[in-house]
Amino acid sequence: MAEAARQALEDIGVDPERMELEWASAAEGPRFVELITRCVNSIKEKGPLGTESNEAEEDVKRKLEAAVEAASASKVRTSFGMLAKKFHKDGDYSPEAIKEAVAAKFTPAFRKERIAQEIKLLLKKGPMSITKLAKIVGSTKAELEKIVAPLIKKGILKEEKKGLALA
Amino acid sequence: MTQEGYNPRILGFFCHWCCYAAADSAGVSRYQYPPNVRVIRVMCTGRIDVRFILEAFKCGADGVFTGG
Amino acid sequence: MYCPRPIADVYNERLDITRATHIDFPQAIPTSYYIDPKACLRVNYQTCNLCAQTCTAGAIDFSQKPKNLKLKVGSVILAPGFGRVSHDVLEKFGYGRYPDVVTSYEFERLTCASGPTEGHLIRPSDHTTPKKIAFLQCIGSRDVTCDNGYCSSVCCMYAIKEASVAKEHEPDLDISLFFMDVRTQGKGFDAARKRAEEKYGFNVIRARVPKIDQIDSQLALTWTTDDGQSHSDLFDMVVLSVGLDAPEDAHAIADIAGIELNSYDFCKTSHGAPLSTTKKGVYVAGAFQGPKDIPESVTQASGVAAIASELLKEGRGTQTVTITYPEEDKALEEEEPRIGVFVCHCGVNIAGVVDVKAVRDYAASLPNVAYYEDTLYSCSQDALKAIAEKVKENRLNRVVIAACSPRTHEPLFQETLRSIGLNPALFEMANIRDQCAWVHAQEPEEATQKSKDLVRMAVAKARLLEPLAQPTVDVTPKALVLGGGAAGMTVALSIADQGFETILVEKSKELGGNLRKLTWTVDGQDARKILKDLIKKVEKHPKIDIMLEAELESTSGYVGNFTSTVSKGGKTEMVNHGVLVIATGGEEHKPKGYCYGESRQVVTQLELEQKIAKGKSAFKTTKNVVMIQCVGSRGEDLQHCSRLCCTQAVKNALKIKELKPETNVYIFYRDMRTYGFAEDLYREARQKGVIFLRYTPDQKPEVVKQGRGIKVNAYDRLLGEDISIPANLVVLSTGIAPGENENLSKLLKVPLTQEGFFLEAHAKLRPVEVAVDGIYLCGLAHGPKGLEEAVSQAKAAAAKAAIPLVKGKVAVEPIVSHIDKATCIGCGICATLCPFNAIQMVKDGKRKKAETITASCKGCGICASHCPVLAINMGGFTDEEIFAQIHAFSPEGCGEELEAEKK
Repeated sequence: MAEAARQALEDIGVDPERMELEWASAAEGPRFVELITRCVNSIKEKGPLGTESNEAEEDVKRKLEAAVEAASASKVRTSFGMLAKKFHKDGDYSPEAIKEAVAAKFTPAFRKERIAQEIKLLLKKGPMSITKLAKIVGSTKAELEKIVAPLIKKGILKEEKKGLALA
Repeated sequence: MTQEGYNPRILGFFCHWCCYAAADSAGVSRYQYPPNVRVIRVMCTGRIDVRFILEAFKCGADGVFTGG
Repeated sequence: MYCPRPIADVYNERLDITRATHIDFPQAIPTSYYIDPKACLRVNYQTCNLCAQTCTAGAIDFSQKPKNLKLKVGSVILAPGFGRVSHDVLEKFGYGRYPDVVTSYEFERLTCASGPTEGHLIRPSDHTTPKKIAFLQCIGSRDVTCDNGYCSSVCCMYAIKEASVAKEHEPDLDISLFFMDVRTQGKGFDAARKRAEEKYGFNVIRARVPKIDQIDSQLALTWTTDDGQSHSDLFDMVVLSVGLDAPEDAHAIADIAGIELNSYDFCKTSHGAPLSTTKKGVYVAGAFQGPKDIPESVTQASGVAAIASELLKEGRGTQTVTITYPEEDKALEEEEPRIGVFVCHCGVNIAGVVDVKAVRDYAASLPNVAYYEDTLYSCSQDALKAIAEKVKENRLNRVVIAACSPRTHEPLFQETLRSIGLNPALFEMANIRDQCAWVHAQEPEEATQKSKDLVRMAVAKARLLEPLAQPTVDVTPKALVLGGGAAGMTVALSIADQGFETILVEKSKELGGNLRKLTWTVDGQDARKILKDLIKKVEKHPKIDIMLEAELESTSGYVGNFTSTVSKGGKTEMVNHGVLVIATGGEEHKPKGYCYGESRQVVTQLELEQKIAKGKSAFKTTKNVVMIQCVGSRGEDLQHCSRLCCTQAVKNALKIKELKPETNVYIFYRDMRTYGFAEDLYREARQKGVIFLRYTPDQKPEVVKQGRGIKVNAYDRLLGEDISIPANLVVLSTGIAPGENENLSKLLKVPLTQEGFFLEAHAKLRPVEVAVDGIYLCGLAHGPKGLEEAVSQAKAAAAKAAIPLVKGKVAVEPIVSHIDKATCIGCGICATLCPFNAIQMVKDGKRKKAETITASCKGCGICASHCPVLAINMGGFTDEEIFAQIHAFSPEGCGEELEAEKK
């Protein structure tokens, strides 16, 4: 879960270290204090959300909204669930193995869905050219076209003079 | 570089049995720590969905602390 | 309020004034006023009567007279606690003469937020803040001049606690603590002491201050350290760490109950049966049995309950009154949420930091909040009643309490909801004490803001709470006890004597555990006879099934319904049981170094006992015996203090002196921790010529081989030079190491402490329970301890384990997962991932669908967070509820439009 969340954050330009996963057992009050203090200080150093990507709040929020939608999509969730099942079966929970597997299976599915969701959000405000869309969502034109094609086919999007628009 | 006067907002997801209990025990011992974290208690870190983390950032969290 | 009669506030050590009509302290149960008959004007002079006239409830009735009641009972339990050390002892240290010499009781009140000074530390003489404080230990303890030869066991740790609290109030305080020995032998105490010493920089001085003088406004102390040097210094305040005495009326109690007392007027008991008095049917628990700390007292209290339960098994349930709850008001529950928010002051615990009234008023501004109030102590009986009334009066159907931790108090408040016909799930807590006021004490504004945020998040969740079903399941009336040592056998016997089948699983081929290696107990009883009797009773008991050379392989299920597999001689056997007790023991630590294993003349204390058991002949050529304490313990291989080695060493030293008085016995120690009545043995050993030499961790004694013999090189603090003792026998007190607990910990999902012992659910209040319901703990598996304490603890574990067995039913937690069959696509990811095997795939038409086994589900939620189609939700922790909390995390609100859209 943590690795998937980190890679999802990275995909939308949020420093993945803003999410910490730590362990403190019931008996470890002092350790808990140490962890929390360290976490607060680390976030203090990073500054407010969006500092690292130097983006406007509005853009960060939109990307996050698209990300939440993407993480709710059954395709993305299936890839995530299957991964967890595989780790369970293999019993290999080494960080490297998890990182690699998540990057291979979960993150591409997530990215595709996230971009699709973000396009939908962007187009709510009116049509936009593919070049501009690609720049905003952080992808190449080729990647974007690949994502857009099935959406046009399904009749969710349509091509207009000014570029793409919601159907 | 730490920004002066910047108080980050952090959302914590704490496991009822572990981290939440550790946080309570820190309180009983009166250990002091920065007041930037707001806590959502869950019965286990396994409950935490990727959606929750992303939603937290969307709702203005500068950081998310999941404690198992 | 109207009582005109001022009296000294006894609860506050007479440092404050109260009225003849008063409540002792805010958390007293019940928290209702009572009238002190010694001071009341009406009772003594037939005047006044003001209170009776002004009481609108008419609750005061002066015509009541004392009555004698006759009760028919099966057993009598004595728990009168401890008494106070006499005033004469305190006067020797200037108490009463010098106002700034205070007792530890007074100091406790002076540093307490609910005390007479609201926690401001002041000197009684001039009300200024002291800069330099001395704590004097062993006042009225370890002192034969006042007939209290024993050690009070608790004062070293409480002094460190009081000193730490004082330092938190006044960070610049200079605190010196005068110990004879630092006796912090309790579980986790040594680590706590070390932390406190490092954090607060106390001056720890090993010396006994003989007397105190006052010079101007300061107190002069003179003392001699163990290097023979004299010192003196001035202090602003001196705290006398007063010991625990026998109750003042011990003799009267003894006469009434027909029991015998020991030489110090505490109740006479034996190490093999620490809870039994000299009279059958009369039992004892707590400090009356001997000075002890809270965990040991609570343990004994449960233990004595087990004995009573064994005796009363025939009559069990014949006089029970069952609580009946009113039917749930389903119609009210389905109405639009009407939330009541109650913000607790917890005396000054919360209100001392957080602006409670501001939080309360903030709650009023939140959607769906229909009622709001602040309460002084929301968990007090009166407040609970008031909350119930307010909920009914305002037709509230959701309740939020902003107070302490749901981990400790949720059940209490939920019970209140049930009592007025509301489903307990319609309740949420905001933890503004343990996780706010207590941890942000220096930042009241931020703490108040955080409290508001937490309340907002709790209210947001409360709006979406749904009633949850509360199923109960039957309990398998059988216990599984792991470990056949003294503790395990005692548990098995007690549970069986309480009327339940018990399976006793022992790894080795015989019962007995570490008790096999003992020859006599600290109080001189024949350990082998105790062992023999115990084994005989266990073997003969019709309800005990013994499995030797057997080990636990796996356990599944939950309290009331466990299924375990036990392997025995290559075969495995399945057993169903309702409860499980961990009594797997520990082992004597085998140290590295000290020539142990290299020379036959270097042995451990247990090995020495075997040698002593052989009699005088084993010591024919022995002239010099050197014992070294804390080998491996307290920071070498093991971090903890093993609690029993000091007493064991002294016991064995005395045995050697008894067998062959001309033997020289030397004991090198760091702190002699012969707590409780074992102090008598320590004194006797010194009188019989055993030589005690203190060492510090940076100057440890060395064991060196010399030809065919060995010698011990060490630094003598009194002489101030290195010495060398040729020894015929070196005995290492190596302490207790945990058994192989990691495996069992994983198997049962019961956490371990850092030292590797099992972690109890609460060190003081639930010392024999663990985090997992239905699993209990005792003996060395919990931590190092002697036979006396292990037996008490075993009885306590038996009492706790019998509770579900006696009840016959347990309620299943309603926070389980719910799977929406219509949405489920039967992928089986959840069933694979569930750590409790609580999801099964069931055929539903053509496809398989996931189904929760409610009784096995622990509510962890892994299934829900991994479901591809969001078909799984968790009771009390639904997606919607958690999202609502996340949205409410933002003060401006976030995502509400989305919620509305989805609805």
